[in-house]
Amino acid sequence: MTPDSMIKLVSELLDLPIIDSDGSYCGIVDDIEFEGTRELKLKALLVGPGAYAGRLPGWAMALVKWVAGDRITRVPMDKVRTIGTAVKLACPAREAGLDRSERAAERWIPSKGAL
Amino acid sequence: MNPLELTLGIMTAVGGFVDISELVFAAKAGSTFGYALISVFFIGTIGIIVFSEMSGRVAAIAKQPVFNLMRHRLGLSLGLLVLAGSVISNLITCAAEVGGVALILNYLTGAPYFLMAIVMTALMIISIWVLPFKWIERTYGLLGLVMLVFLAALVAIHPPWGQIARGFVPQIPAGLSTKELLTFGYFCVAILSAVLFPYEVYFYSSGGIEEGWGPKDMLTNRLTSIIGMGLGSTLAVAILANSAQLFGPANVDPEIPGTAALEAAIPFGHWGLILALAGMFFAVAGAAVETCMANAYGIAQFFGWKWGRHKKPWEAPRFTFAWIALFLLALLIVLTGVDVMMLVELAILFSILVLPLTYLPLLLLSGDRKYMGTNANGPLAKTLGWLYFFIITAAAIAALPLFTLTSGGNG
Repeated sequence: MTPDSMIKLVSELLDLPIIDSDGSYCGIVDDIEFEGTRELKLKALLVGPGAYAGRLPGWAMALVKWVAGDRITRVPMDKVRTIGTAVKLACPAREAGLDRSERAAERWIPSKGAL
Repeated sequence: MNPLELTLGIMTAVGGFVDISELVFAAKAGSTFGYALISVFFIGTIGIIVFSEMSGRVAAIAKQPVFNLMRHRLGLSLGLLVLAGSVISNLITCAAEVGGVALILNYLTGAPYFLMAIVMTALMIISIWVLPFKWIERTYGLLGLVMLVFLAALVAIHPPWGQIARGFVPQIPAGLSTKELLTFGYFCVAILSAVLFPYEVYFYSSGGIEEGWGPKDMLTNRLTSIIGMGLGSTLAVAILANSAQLFGPANVDPEIPGTAALEAAIPFGHWGLILALAGMFFAVAGAAVETCMANAYGIAQFFGWKWGRHKKPWEAPRFTFAWIALFLLALLIVLTGVDVMMLVELAILFSILVLPLTYLPLLLLSGDRKYMGTNANGPLAKTLGWLYFFIITAAAIAALPLFTLTSGGNG
């Protein structure tokens, strides 16, 4: 892999939406974790407001942390099935740890009255 | 193709073209400058058809709505900035629509304005909660067609069709003073902004995904955007032409939304007035729902939440929280007593400022063969797309100075 293609890979992967195996949106690729020294390999996708650090100015990051916290969820690459206009997971969001906020919000919504 | 499939385009367009801002701007444009500004509606309509078709095509092929693309293409920092601008612009627009609906009900029933704002916000929230997406677009889209009374009114007053036809040619009216020229310039920018409101594209592309569009729906997308936007534009031009014919010679300045309703009352009497107010009510209520949902779509898509009203409200809980909270915030703005017309002017100004950054990522992705394959932009879409991108960028640069120099088009 050439340095050019590596840069392209990262730029194409960052900020892509993540869709789980049930077809539901469950996050955005906020950062990427690599492994290796001479030859870098993708290790995991980082999801959550904590992964914005380094991508936003300090004051904006402090604001994000105050509003949304600084949680980061790591999604290992072996849970990724395909990468295209979205990252498609090979498992449901729950298995990747990407459904906690939705489940927390779900408790406040009455599950009746809709056609 | 089922004709009911066109309702997404009709709701998008009626809510976009004959919302509270167009009701005022189209009528004012006609009474102040005659038929000269029809060409700006015409130019804007082609622009919104181009971008709607593009966003629908991307939704069908790449399966991605506008805000996902925006964040991926612009990056986190710039993307957040555009999101913030869009949320503020859509929220102000939504507040203007809620205020507009309350104002129209106040005209129709005499009931207190604030009470009507509260009741209508509750009813609109209930309608989104209860109805699945298909029924939301059909209900508001089809009821908005009552606005056709303005077209009937135009035919009934036997306008000078030749002059209307000449209005489609871009022109600057002769004999304007510098101050009037600046006001004319502001109207051009404001009409372009109102016709190309970004929430229309957010709503349309998300609607395409809500409806499960795929490659087989290319024709539906093309027809929906052309017929829907064409119809919305025709209604707006009818309001302008009625105003040029009826209000201009009488020196009536239609500064409040209710004045436009008189256009149907003059040829059709009592029932014309009732139908015009009813049409305005449904169109503006549809616009309120459209702006609120477009805002919630944007937030949910930017942060990767579950979204959509093809799901039950509890199946996309953060998205549900978002649209309810946005409706309540819009109501709160109305309840402060701020003038609806001031909200309209601010909404138009904010929208034009975020327009270029909304449409750029769409333009880039819809032309990317890696994602779009054989459905990538052809020479026509590419040429028109870039041409309109430069037009809206120029309008965005001119918007703030013109707004300041003309006190929001008030001279």
